[in-house]
Amino acid sequence: MRALVVEDDPTIADFVARGLREAGFAVDHAGDGDAALECTREQTYDVAIVDVMLPKRDGLAVIDEMRRRGSATPVLILSARRSVDDRVKGLQAGGDDYLTKPFAFAELLARVQALLRRATRTPEPTTLTVEDLALDLLSRRVTRDGTPIDLRPREFSLLEYLMRNAGRVVSKTMILSHVWEYSFDPQTNIVDVLVSRLREKIDRPFERKLLQTVRGVGYVLGGHER
Amino acid sequence: MRPFGLRLALWYATIFVVASTVIVFLTYWLTSASLAQRDQQIIQQKIGEYAAAYQRGGIGRLADIVRAEQSTAPERLFVRVVDRGAEAIVLSQPEGWEPSALETASLRLWDGTLVQVGKSTEARQDLLSRFRAALGLVTLSVVIAALAGGFIVTRVALEPVQRLTEAVGRIIRTGRTDERVPLSAETDPLDAIDELTRLFNQMLDKIEGLVTAMRGALDNVSHDLRTPLTRLRGTAEMALAAPPDVDRCRDALADCVEESDRVLVMLNTLMDISEAESGALQLHRGAVRLGEIAARAVELYRDVADAKGLVLSANTSSDLVVMADATRLEQVAANLIDNAVKYTAAGGRVDVEVVGDEGRAVLRVRDTGIGVRADELPHIWNRLFRGDTSRTERGLGLGLSLVKAIVEAHGGTVEVKSEPNRGSVFTVALGAV
Repeated sequence: MRALVVEDDPTIADFVARGLREAGFAVDHAGDGDAALECTREQTYDVAIVDVMLPKRDGLAVIDEMRRRGSATPVLILSARRSVDDRVKGLQAGGDDYLTKPFAFAELLARVQALLRRATRTPEPTTLTVEDLALDLLSRRVTRDGTPIDLRPREFSLLEYLMRNAGRVVSKTMILSHVWEYSFDPQTNIVDVLVSRLREKIDRPFERKLLQTVRGVGYVLGGHER
Repeated sequence: MRPFGLRLALWYATIFVVASTVIVFLTYWLTSASLAQRDQQIIQQKIGEYAAAYQRGGIGRLADIVRAEQSTAPERLFVRVVDRGAEAIVLSQPEGWEPSALETASLRLWDGTLVQVGKSTEARQDLLSRFRAALGLVTLSVVIAALAGGFIVTRVALEPVQRLTEAVGRIIRTGRTDERVPLSAETDPLDAIDELTRLFNQMLDKIEGLVTAMRGALDNVSHDLRTPLTRLRGTAEMALAAPPDVDRCRDALADCVEESDRVLVMLNTLMDISEAESGALQLHRGAVRLGEIAARAVELYRDVADAKGLVLSANTSSDLVVMADATRLEQVAANLIDNAVKYTAAGGRVDVEVVGDEGRAVLRVRDTGIGVRADELPHIWNRLFRGDTSRTERGLGLGLSLVKAIVEAHGGTVEVKSEPNRGSVFTVALGAV
């Protein structure tokens, strides 16, 4: 998988590129709009991450030009502007998703993966498995090591989300917007409460703990080496 | 005067001059024509008299009359009688006559004799030339008056516009928004320019209000961010200064991430409050069922309330519809419930209800929590205010300010009643559709 990161701030570009490489991407970086177009002329990318405010040619113009040349590369827009209008403008320019700065890298990665899934039209699995934990999306049954686990709807939806992102850190904000479809940050520890209830059911009776807390960042289910 | 004023003045003068010139020409032409007509009448009358005399007494009588008239008449005429042999039989010709300056007429009598009478046009021409001179003078003074009047009228009419232009220019140059356009002493409510000036000043008032509010908001935001940023910096600095230890550093880094998340939430909330208070918040309004919004917010806190051992009850089946920004309203409901859940101990209750009240949709959140002291009650809406009893709970102290700002941006009201250790009731009222 090859990704293009278009971002003029060297620190942000560096941590995004490093994170993507760790997740198994080959990453090219462009520091301005013209360089970005130069890259897309020479290479075909599976995904592009484009900042809006760029020197020489802004991000929306870059996306517009890419689309004009017939590129179908999915684009994740990065922007410091958070109003609904800016979001709409970005998507109208040909972007596929929009992420507001500052962001958690975990969220950026999850969105990139989602764009790739959408672009490659990976057939939807009907069963998700992480080690000995299995979740059947059709019958909505969850088992661990063959033992059925009874989950309430929100716990189920949280587990499904964590399993789809198995091995990747998922932030509280991401959980909040997926499980409750709330886009702002309530100040109470709503997510913590739900996570600890889920943990109670899928981890407590078993010796190996699958659901880990990554302090300051979020939660990860299975296979996270750290 | 600007080119526009000059053009206006010239147009005014041109139209005035053209109209006056037309009148002058018409007058001259009518006068000249009527003078010529009168001369013709006199000549015709004379010819008639002579023809009658000729008929009665022949050529002799005619000659007598002509001769008599030559000496008595105030104005001597040119008279010529020619017989059939083309020989002049009577000729009376005043001295020094110019044949070209004659108004003439002739009549052939029954026996072929021709009577010709001519009248000098000299007097007439003289009169007309004096008339022309007079008209010329009049025209000249009209032109001068028109130009002068044009300039004066334009200047008077455009003066308020000029003042407006100067004021706008000053504001653009200096960036001072407290500048106003002076209104003339006696203002006429029907005067379009006065009206424009008044509206312009009102617009400046509004802009100044907005700019002041924005500046204030910016000051507050930058002030409010200093504390968490100090904490953030302090944490990182302490970790760097301490002897190297991976676990301690990881702890510090996690603290930094959490602290910066808090800064971000705080910044977003402060911006929302400031924008809502200054009227700059964009509301994407639509028809929204208040009951649905409240029910969703209750669901969000259901687990938290269970975990805390509270009863969270909802009476939100109401069909009341309000025109509101659904996301913002969800924020209002969530913040009120958040507050109630946070400050109510295990075993307590939080009741959320949506009811109609005199054409208004009312969202009420009632708790059996710690309540607010009467002396603190008026301050709970202030940004970053945290009552003495609430300090132990984590929070930013922005939730209620945001609630108030959003509700008021929607044209609604928010009220609180509270009794320490008994509980509080928050009531949000919005205009129902």
